[in-house]
Amino acid sequence: MNVILAVKQYVSKMIEESGPGMKVLLMDADTTVFVSMVYAKSEILQKEVYLFEKIDSGASRESMKHLKCITFLRPTKENVALLANELKAPKYGLYYIYFSNVISKQDVKILAEADDQEVVREVQEFYGDYIAVNPHLFSLNISNCCQSLRWAQPMLSRTAQGLTALLLSVKKCPMIRYQNSSEMARELADNVKRIITNNAALFEFRRTDVAPVLLILDRRDDAVTPLLNQWTYEAMVHEVLGIENSKINLSKVPGISKDLKEVLLSAETDEFYSENMYQSFGEIGTNIKNLMDEFQKQSKNHTKVESIQDMKNFIENYPQFRKMSGTVSKHVTVVSELSRLVGLYNLLNVSETEQEIACQSDHSNQLQQIKVLMENDKVRPMDLLRLVMLYALRYEAHTNNDMVGLIDLLKRKGISEDKRAMVHAVLEYGGRKARGSDLFRSGDPVNITRRILQNLKGVENVYTQHQPLLASTLDQLIKGKLKEASYPYMGANQLKDRPQDVIVFIIGGCTYAESKLVHTLNRTTHGVKIILGGTTIHNFESFLSELSTAVKGQATKYPARTGRH
Amino acid sequence: MASDATGIMEGFLCPVCLKDFGTVSQLQDHFEDVHSSEDKAVLQSLKGFFDKAKRRILGNKEFGFRESNTQNNENPSTTCFSGYDPTWWEYQELGVTQYHTDAFRAVRDARIDHFVVETNKLLIRLDKLLDPDAPREASKRKGIVTMFSDYLGFEKSIVPWVPDGAVPACLSCEESFSILRRKHHCRLCGGIMCNKCSEFLGLTYAQKLVNPAVSFEGESGFLKRSDSSTSLNSLMGLEAEGHMRICKGCRMLLERRDQMTEQRNIKPTLVLLYEKMRGCMRDANELIPEYLPMVDSLSIGEATYSWREAQALRNKLVRLYDAVDQLSKRILCLEIKPESPSALKQQQLQKAIRVSASYFMQENLIGLQALPSEDQYEELKTARRVEVQRKIAAERQAEMEAQQRERQSQDDTERSRPNGDKKLGHTRNDSHDSVGKGWKPVEEGSRVSKVADPMLQQMEIIRGYIKQAKEAQRWDEVEMLEHNLKDLKDEYYRQQTINFKS
Repeated sequence: MNVILAVKQYVSKMIEESGPGMKVLLMDADTTVFVSMVYAKSEILQKEVYLFEKIDSGASRESMKHLKCITFLRPTKENVALLANELKAPKYGLYYIYFSNVISKQDVKILAEADDQEVVREVQEFYGDYIAVNPHLFSLNISNCCQSLRWAQPMLSRTAQGLTALLLSVKKCPMIRYQNSSEMARELADNVKRIITNNAALFEFRRTDVAPVLLILDRRDDAVTPLLNQWTYEAMVHEVLGIENSKINLSKVPGISKDLKEVLLSAETDEFYSENMYQSFGEIGTNIKNLMDEFQKQSKNHTKVESIQDMKNFIENYPQFRKMSGTVSKHVTVVSELSRLVGLYNLLNVSETEQEIACQSDHSNQLQQIKVLMENDKVRPMDLLRLVMLYALRYEAHTNNDMVGLIDLLKRKGISEDKRAMVHAVLEYGGRKARGSDLFRSGDPVNITRRILQNLKGVENVYTQHQPLLASTLDQLIKGKLKEASYPYMGANQLKDRPQDVIVFIIGGCTYAESKLVHTLNRTTHGVKIILGGTTIHNFESFLSELSTAVKGQATKYPARTGRH
Repeated sequence: MASDATGIMEGFLCPVCLKDFGTVSQLQDHFEDVHSSEDKAVLQSLKGFFDKAKRRILGNKEFGFRESNTQNNENPSTTCFSGYDPTWWEYQELGVTQYHTDAFRAVRDARIDHFVVETNKLLIRLDKLLDPDAPREASKRKGIVTMFSDYLGFEKSIVPWVPDGAVPACLSCEESFSILRRKHHCRLCGGIMCNKCSEFLGLTYAQKLVNPAVSFEGESGFLKRSDSSTSLNSLMGLEAEGHMRICKGCRMLLERRDQMTEQRNIKPTLVLLYEKMRGCMRDANELIPEYLPMVDSLSIGEATYSWREAQALRNKLVRLYDAVDQLSKRILCLEIKPESPSALKQQQLQKAIRVSASYFMQENLIGLQALPSEDQYEELKTARRVEVQRKIAAERQAEMEAQQRERQSQDDTERSRPNGDKKLGHTRNDSHDSVGKGWKPVEEGSRVSKVADPMLQQMEIIRGYIKQAKEAQRWDEVEMLEHNLKDLKDEYYRQQTINFKS
């Protein structure tokens, strides 16, 4: 169930099927991302793929008959039309056509009728129709899937396609469970089920002892996690700098060198990153120092190069050396930028308060802390907003709730009206009415005892107290204790045993914090494999945008009570 | 019951052939190997049964392990794991694929068949029309239509012309014919079109179409239709110069075929160079697994491989890498016609090829271990010999001491059994194994007979095997044989030193 491997094997197979010779890879904007996430450029060059073209650049592309063309496209109407045009006046010698999802017979016919010159050798479906981020994490890069608290229709069908493609690529025909409190989850579950039934022949797999489970959740059940600052490497980088398709933009870093303006963070090619992506910020500091020391040891050798023999030895180590030096400077840059921003924006204080709000229940004290932070000029307005949103969610029903006062303070800090509206939006989106589960676990006796114990022992790390809701949901699922009333099955079949293969999908996007959680679960739970997916992968900024679309046009139950000057 | 007749058997029995196996996994392996072709459903159910049984048998052990595991990670939120989880990278089947090629072909071929049949018909006709014995004069070709005779012309005898009266308007532009818009026949399909819609096929080009051996140089095999639409003379002139009037449809079919053959037969320089380069890469990749064990062995001073052979191999490799480098550079610098429409992409392509070649070089050439020089090798060899002797001496010393201790308690008849014989017997067994694997000794009579020592004989024989195996390119066997040879040599040195000392 490794999603990176699944997509990579598809791509390798395509390249293999076209045999030896120079190749060009013809893709659309989506498939370009799918492929770039699993194949490094140097790696794909070694497989004789030398050019990469976009299907919609037809006019500017030039005829090169000595190239074989591997075409990898999503089966959209536009792509089929573009490809038919391409085939009528083929620019390359031979075409090997692969669609990333199910294509209709009609579309195959359109293409066949365009192929007068008999250039097409293969037409197949390879279900690499999603973005494989980590072996256990995928995304569909759909932002704002929820509009007016309902599915936007094209996004619903894209999501269902993406999910079924994922199932096909890892050869699983699951039982589907969905979050009962969410209409969107039910609709998606229904769509996925229908696609599976309509393509029953494709989903004929060897039966495993225990059927896999697809669990469809809604972000609205846990709007807290995407609001928090994160302190593990991958999650933190995404929160503070933003990761887009494994790339981070460092161009705003003061004094950045030219070749580091955009860096690639890929666990596939970067050993340091793969070792440290789930480590906490403090540990990375130590690890990076070790890496530096090791590098310096090598660099010293470098300075000591005197004889030709030395030079030769050095050159013999050259590829590793260069790779290592690249890794060092990249991570040093990223980590030092992170720590600069942490200091600049007082993120430690902010995060401490965030975690307290999310995990403890000391209303007056926390309200006081927020007000103190409001006075602090170093704290970003964005982080103040974050805090107020958290406060609003946490103390929605608290008798002394002072949301109005806090919004007022935000206004005085110069935060714009539509940003302030986010506080209400988050209540509309993920408030008590919208939730199906006990997000703050006030009523859970186990949790209460845990909390008491924690208070006795003292919290180990104030910045990582919060566990996403997903932790308890998955825990119950793995133990076979997830309540059927809250997470019913789609269809008649029910799982008797504890599940072994689990695919969790979060409508409205997952977070890297949840990805880390799933990673840890996979490492610690024997015999259970979990894949996590989301319509997108959020940080606070992208979540704000998700929120504002989600509640757009909703007659808000929370009238913007400004005034009170 | 059946079991009464055969008696009750116990153990890990194969349910199909009732063979007994030592362990669960052996049984499962056997079952998968031998009976996998049998009914899949039976296999599945049995497999499930095995799994359950396995879990029950091995369960305790695994369970214990699991418990200790969870204890270690009592608080998973604080324990961190590196992002790399090896269990994710186990073998994984390729995901589902769906095949549409056949459906695609069915639709396409139905369309294409029509083209192919038509094109072939045209080519046969064209071939006849171009027959060198055919009449040249226009009148004979077209035939003379008089009131008295309707002499069927040469062209009409090959291609049935559509009668003039049958078509009121041009089949292509649908303008009706008149005095000004005269009817013309396509010489290939016999159809009627107006002058404007006519195409003129150059005869040299036509020759090439029917016979690819004829070369044709020029922009296009078709002549631009002259604008003077009415001038009969100019048209007559054209035909005299060696052109043939055909319709647009026929032109399309002919051109399509020509492009396809062209593509099949002509390779641009880039492709030729590229193929050569890939050839060199492939050769180099084949040589590497042969070379690496040689260097390893030689650089610790072993005599399993000949130094010269390794040197030759290295030179060959370096030459191949050099060729890759040169070829990729040539590809990079290939002249591109600046006005050619594909200049930009062509350049990108050439650059990418060069980049991939340099990746290849970085990975292989730079990491290519150097051989010790011949002098160095001699030194290494002596050093190793000394080292080996030192070791042997140490071993002997230890043995002597042990024996002395033994002697104190035991009779010294035990001691007199020659040590070497035992070892020799062992090496013989080794060589026997390799005979069993199919390598016959080559009787290089004189050389073998010269060497009296059975050890040396044995070594000669194994060298012979290695040579044969290399010729047959069976590298795994070569490796095994070389290993044997090495053992033999070590043993030989050892004996030599023993002899020398005693």
